[in-house]
Amino acid sequence: MFKFLAIERLAPLFLPRETALLVVRQFVVQAKQDAAKYVEAEHMLLTLAANDESDACILLRESGLTYRELASALHEERRRTLAFAGVEPLDEKQTAATELDRQLTLGTSAKVAIKRALIASRGGRSRRPCIQSTELLFGILQAELGTVPRTLAIAGVDRAALIVRTTNPMSKTTC
Amino acid sequence: MTQTGPSPLGGPADGLAASSALRAMADRLEDAEVERAMREGWTWSQVAEALGVTRQAVHKKHLRRLLMARIDLRRRDV
Repeated sequence: MFKFLAIERLAPLFLPRETALLVVRQFVVQAKQDAAKYVEAEHMLLTLAANDESDACILLRESGLTYRELASALHEERRRTLAFAGVEPLDEKQTAATELDRQLTLGTSAKVAIKRALIASRGGRSRRPCIQSTELLFGILQAELGTVPRTLAIAGVDRAALIVRTTNPMSKTTC
Repeated sequence: MTQTGPSPLGGPADGLAASSALRAMADRLEDAEVERAMREGWTWSQVAEALGVTRQAVHKKHLRRLLMARIDLRRRDV
């Protein structure tokens, strides 16, 4: 599922339809800013945190996680992770290389998060896939290991409590 | 919700995350240094020898990107 799928082809999965394309394009922007070869769950989480109008952004903010704080926690997670191996992050100039002009595809963590969001979105609604922002957040937060839960732990965010909040009924509209 | 699985921080989680982060960093460093070497006039064989892989492997992995970087690769077939 989603194998080699161009990211923009994912847009019909998200609500509202009018802004879905912008949202999935933002996944790619976040991944490229991170010099990543794939779009991963943390890039989708950054996108949700950056979209002030989404319910997911509100939930994240209420949990003390603004876009800036999330970006800072991700940076700290990478620093601590490399420090475990006695390595410091390289200067961006040291790893500056020409990027291949290819469309980024989904990494495993992003695929798993979307699958979980799709399952959550089908509860009590039509069969047509339509993921709302809080459902995508729910899918992302379900991962117990990996970059996102490590980052949340470093930021002092209670992941389990946040998961519960994503499942509470609220005015879910935007992604 | 009770947490039953391993913690995302500490123990093997740190080591596994580090191995993944190191791999990504090594990939980015290789891309940058191969590009730098070719800009400085190294041959495919020299880059391959420095990396400890075959010339064909370097060629296959980096050719498209180096062409995009507009590096003159003529007479580099040694």
